[in-house]
Amino acid sequence: MTALQASGFPEDLVRERARSGAAAVFPSATSYGTSLFGGSSSDSADLLESARLVPPVFVPRRLEKLIELGREPLYGDVSLSTSIGGFASSLPVYLSAFGSTQVAGAGLGAAASAQAGRLGIPMVIGENVVPVHGHGRAGGPSAGTLLERLRAYGDAVPDGLGGVVVQQSTEDADAEVWNLVYSDPSAASLLESGRLAFELKVGQGAKPGLGGMTLVSPSDAASLASLYAVDLTLGSSVLRSSSPGTFTPEILRQQIRLMRNNFPRAGVWVKLPPGRDVASAASVAWEAGADAVTVDGAEGGSGWTPLSFGPVGLPLGECLSRIGAPAGCLLASGRMWEGTRVAKVLALGARAAGLGRAALLAVDTDPESGLVRFAEALALELRLLLSALGQYQPDALTPEDVWFPGTSVPVREQVLS
Amino acid sequence: MEYTDPPDPRTHLTSETTRHVLGLQHKLLAEARAFLGARGFTELLPPVIGPVTDPGGRGAKQVDVDFYGHRYKLMTSAILYKQASLLGFSKIFYVAPNVRLEPLETANTSRHLAEFHQLDVEVAGASRDDVLDLLQDLVAHVVRRVVEDAGDVLEALGRDSGAFTDLLGGAFGRLSHATAVETLRELGHPQSADAEIDWAGEAILSEKHARPFFLVDYPKGSRGFYDRESVSTPGVLRNFDLIAPEGYGELCSGSEREHDYGRIVTRMRETGENPAKYAWYLDLVRAGIPASAGFGLGVQRFTRYVAGLDAVWQATAFPKLPGVVSP
Repeated sequence: MTALQASGFPEDLVRERARSGAAAVFPSATSYGTSLFGGSSSDSADLLESARLVPPVFVPRRLEKLIELGREPLYGDVSLSTSIGGFASSLPVYLSAFGSTQVAGAGLGAAASAQAGRLGIPMVIGENVVPVHGHGRAGGPSAGTLLERLRAYGDAVPDGLGGVVVQQSTEDADAEVWNLVYSDPSAASLLESGRLAFELKVGQGAKPGLGGMTLVSPSDAASLASLYAVDLTLGSSVLRSSSPGTFTPEILRQQIRLMRNNFPRAGVWVKLPPGRDVASAASVAWEAGADAVTVDGAEGGSGWTPLSFGPVGLPLGECLSRIGAPAGCLLASGRMWEGTRVAKVLALGARAAGLGRAALLAVDTDPESGLVRFAEALALELRLLLSALGQYQPDALTPEDVWFPGTSVPVREQVLS
Repeated sequence: MEYTDPPDPRTHLTSETTRHVLGLQHKLLAEARAFLGARGFTELLPPVIGPVTDPGGRGAKQVDVDFYGHRYKLMTSAILYKQASLLGFSKIFYVAPNVRLEPLETANTSRHLAEFHQLDVEVAGASRDDVLDLLQDLVAHVVRRVVEDAGDVLEALGRDSGAFTDLLGGAFGRLSHATAVETLRELGHPQSADAEIDWAGEAILSEKHARPFFLVDYPKGSRGFYDRESVSTPGVLRNFDLIAPEGYGELCSGSEREHDYGRIVTRMRETGENPAKYAWYLDLVRAGIPASAGFGLGVQRFTRYVAGLDAVWQATAFPKLPGVVSP
């Protein structure tokens, strides 16, 4: 564990899950017999936090499961296996991208990769890793490189599960990250097993409209000046800014088509910022053939961000509402750390949720097994929640499973005839 | 066609077959030079490295070169330099070396080399029809001279010169990309309508034809930013491939070129490129470059077709297959 902090994020709770796994899902066992337990009312400005999961009384899917099993189903009968952007996954979660930020580069990126591999969940490798840390072949340094993460993941992932998604932004195009990976022997096994995809980064949650930002030393700034804007001195460091990229519907459509044309054996993912036209952008992406569209809510992000960008961008819940019934595989990220939030986004149309800050904190807590234990806790919660909702697989959840207080959403009741 | 790997360099260089093939290639180039020279073309020497090169396609990677601390590229195609050269000469050609780190799965397609040469032609003020006629005449001229003057070499290579009767007997046909997609789908091949004809699909089409033909009108999104988009049919490019018959596949790609600054910058974004990388080129374009059309004929692929070889590596003295360590 390092001095890694995540203010505004339930850091302590995440670290507890990384240490204790499933035990952290319940109140402390030592309090049993001496405390009274029950709900507490909490008001939250966060749309998703304020929403409630609402189990029905009548549960026809449970009856189906009962018939299948020949006994009453329990939470352990929930299967969390799913398909995420063309990859088989053991859980409806994936490891979100951490870019070239210092915290991800300091060994956490590789440790997170190895644990995501063990879990059999897809992993996204963030933008700017190659331009900043290098690819890692031909005798160069290995720490923090793309190759280090690919190897750590590939060595751990079980057959038939998971996949690696390599992100590229505008500056990455100069480094030809996708071409490099696609022609690299180290990625051959991923390609041959259909477990490689490329993600076009259109934007990000925490600072929609801006590109990636990191702080670098003045000496590094000089060497990066040909690739990035490095013109703002902040204390003893220099701000390195990526381009936000320029997109119109036609640019997005054609970039996706070009990805499919140039890398026919790789999947195509698209990451959208929480823009007001997010539904249109998602439609364009799916229509052009994207295998997955990730929406990063305004609550997302693990990187350096201007303070004034707190109230910029749509909350994730609003993004999902605007998209409605997705026309393809929809993924959601932004402040994902426990089961109810994940279950809510699944119910609102997402196929899976991305783990960003929570994954970094879990790995920071225990580089060997922190993320694995954290995911075990999350999986237990999801099984409990899905079972409570009368469902036994994640893609069976529907918007009816979520209620937004104060809204008069008509609920179509399911009644057994 | 039976695929084999290249032998060791001594065996390859001393083989009778290699000697015949490279001798034939020499004749192909000499005849092509004579043909183009007679039509008023100037041969220029192509650049080998530059701050930028053709962004390429189908997953090929460029090779970076340290140029006094600046990241330069080996040419994957000199297309941008061809356009620029038209500021000095209106009809030019190169015999240009190219290096493309093709994806590993292309190592045994019989058609891909990581290092190869192109006969690169560019004509100021030309339309696609102009360069299609030029290319057809060029190919027919070279093949006719080979059949007439080097029948003994073809015979020694086991190539029936009767294979070129159709080629020499009439105009090459044209097939639109949309029709090619439809044909392949009818034949049970799942070809994407938005992408280039894949290698397997190309081989199927190639085997169904008796003479070379032009595949035209590729969809935007399948080619680089410099292929001009049709004004009358947005989304369709004014480009083409020349496909050889008998399963030999693509020999040449070409197009009318985008030369308008705003359209080029927009197309760069559509193809995921960072315009800043192309500063020298965009500066030229902003100040004005001629409208043009042109093509790049793969020298080794053309040699392979004429000589009737199993694999394209047989048409080069020092074959470099994708991912294979070789001299």
